[in-house]
Amino acid sequence: MNLLSFPFFIFLLILTILYFLVPKRFQWWVLLAGSLYFYGCSGPRNLIFIGITALSTYLAARRIESLQLAQKAELAARKKELDRAGKAALKERYARRTRRLLILTLVLNFGLLSYFKYLHFVVAQINHLITTFGGAAIQDTWQLIVPMGISFYTFQTMGYLVDVYWKKVPAEKHFGKMLLFVCFFPQVTQGPISDWSELTGELFTEHDFTYHNFSWGLQRMFWGYFKKMALANALGVFVRHLFAHYSEYTGIAALIGAFLYSIQIYADFSGYMDIVCGFCEVLGIRLTENFERPYFSKSIAEYWRRWHSSLGRWFKTYIYYPIAMAKWNQKLGRYMRDHFGKAFGRALPASVALVAVWLTTGLWHGASWGYIAWGGVNGLFIIFSLWMEPIYEGWKQKLHINESAFWWRLFQVVRTFVLVTLIKVLPEVGGLRKGLGLWKQIFTNHTIPTNMHMLVPLYNRSYIDTVVIILATVLLLCCSLIQRRQPARAWMQKHIPYPLRLVFFAMLIILAVYIGGAYTGLTGGFMYAEF
Amino acid sequence: MDELMEILEEIDPDIDYEKETRLIDGKVLDSFSIVSLVSQISETFDIEIGPQYLIPANFNSAAAMWKMIQEIQDEE
Repeated sequence: MNLLSFPFFIFLLILTILYFLVPKRFQWWVLLAGSLYFYGCSGPRNLIFIGITALSTYLAARRIESLQLAQKAELAARKKELDRAGKAALKERYARRTRRLLILTLVLNFGLLSYFKYLHFVVAQINHLITTFGGAAIQDTWQLIVPMGISFYTFQTMGYLVDVYWKKVPAEKHFGKMLLFVCFFPQVTQGPISDWSELTGELFTEHDFTYHNFSWGLQRMFWGYFKKMALANALGVFVRHLFAHYSEYTGIAALIGAFLYSIQIYADFSGYMDIVCGFCEVLGIRLTENFERPYFSKSIAEYWRRWHSSLGRWFKTYIYYPIAMAKWNQKLGRYMRDHFGKAFGRALPASVALVAVWLTTGLWHGASWGYIAWGGVNGLFIIFSLWMEPIYEGWKQKLHINESAFWWRLFQVVRTFVLVTLIKVLPEVGGLRKGLGLWKQIFTNHTIPTNMHMLVPLYNRSYIDTVVIILATVLLLCCSLIQRRQPARAWMQKHIPYPLRLVFFAMLIILAVYIGGAYTGLTGGFMYAEF
Repeated sequence: MDELMEILEEIDPDIDYEKETRLIDGKVLDSFSIVSLVSQISETFDIEIGPQYLIPANFNSAAAMWKMIQEIQDEE
């Protein structure tokens, strides 16, 4: 069910009415029924795969917890007879069983994800190797339809399983609650990737209808629809055209296209987040935020803490820390510290973990060399900054740079935005080769554009649309500036009279429908749903 | 506790560890610092800090870290 479609609004309306009509203890059942219906609309077959993930995780988590409790009970019962070595052996015996169960469930679920997402890519690489040596290629005739949101729900659910294994959270006893955690419809297609405690704390709490939640939630939804339909979709047409024909444009036009793409993807993804967070707010449910004005970041590492932060947090918790703190990695760090100094000892374990994080982040986004290169370049910048930090500090002292000075912070923000934009386009032009071609065009074609059409592709398409895109971008910037100090809605409530606020939101809707209606069919759905 | 304070001072001497109670939540320490911190604590106190202990509550203040170290020592 498309979030931009009329049936979706009817679905939200019915769900909201039912949610507040049923006795409060049944509210989560309404969410579960709604989520299953929503997910079933993507194809009933997909329910089987999400069902496998939910059931396998539910059973594995229960078993892991029961083994952990059995270990505790046995340790307590045999406290007097066991010495230190005996206790360690007993712990190891249970640890082996829980670890085996964990690995089995991870392999099953990540296996399913890999099968759907990476089979074609792997076969293509194998074929490339085979044909290089003169062999016959494997016939890739598999027709795979990737289950909706599999990258998002698999990561979220596996995070929960590892948390149970690490004894961070208890195993859920009610399968219905587990199923809702896996398939909660506002986040199943594009996240946020929540952790168990924060999401279930909201889902299974009883909520009252309040006018404040209703009004603020709707405002945020309107803003999200405006960002997606009036800005992202309209920009999408410009960007798609330029990326398909970048060789016909000058370097400056290609650079403008890259910047427009940065605005498009932010408006698209954060617009989606505003829609789903806004709807959840109507119900009284707070979803994890995924964005914190990422284009105001002062470094690439900071940018990734503020862009799609729930995914970054997942990688940090389940890949970065376990690798950075693994015994072998820590030993390596100590060796480097003893032989090459403190800075090396600090940077090496983190760098090893960052390589793993960024390669998997690239692969998570898509099965292509473009995404792997994109992840690699991001990782390279972050690792390079980490190693260069002591040298940068020295330079800053020599040049007497005041880090809190406005011009220095502005320089850092602009530099990060430009870098992020250039890295971002790499996989998006249609493969790594074309992405590098766009870079080449930007850096080597210094021809001055002779008319506006050559500077901004499709400039002549519609004068009004261009004006709306510029206004919407300025509005987005103003909103981000306000959000530095307080939520934009609180600011509006304080500074803008009620009738004007009504006019403002009415304008957002009119523009979303007017502009977005014309472009939606041309640009497709949400961009992150493709991941 | 003195040994812990020495480790913390080495990570970043500009932070007032006696008073600071939001080292993680307030983004005072980043993930790179945490990795060095955990490595040094593990080495100094001869303990293994598993991923389950890597929650903000255990690293928000020097007192919380000290409590975590004692818990791990008791468990081991």
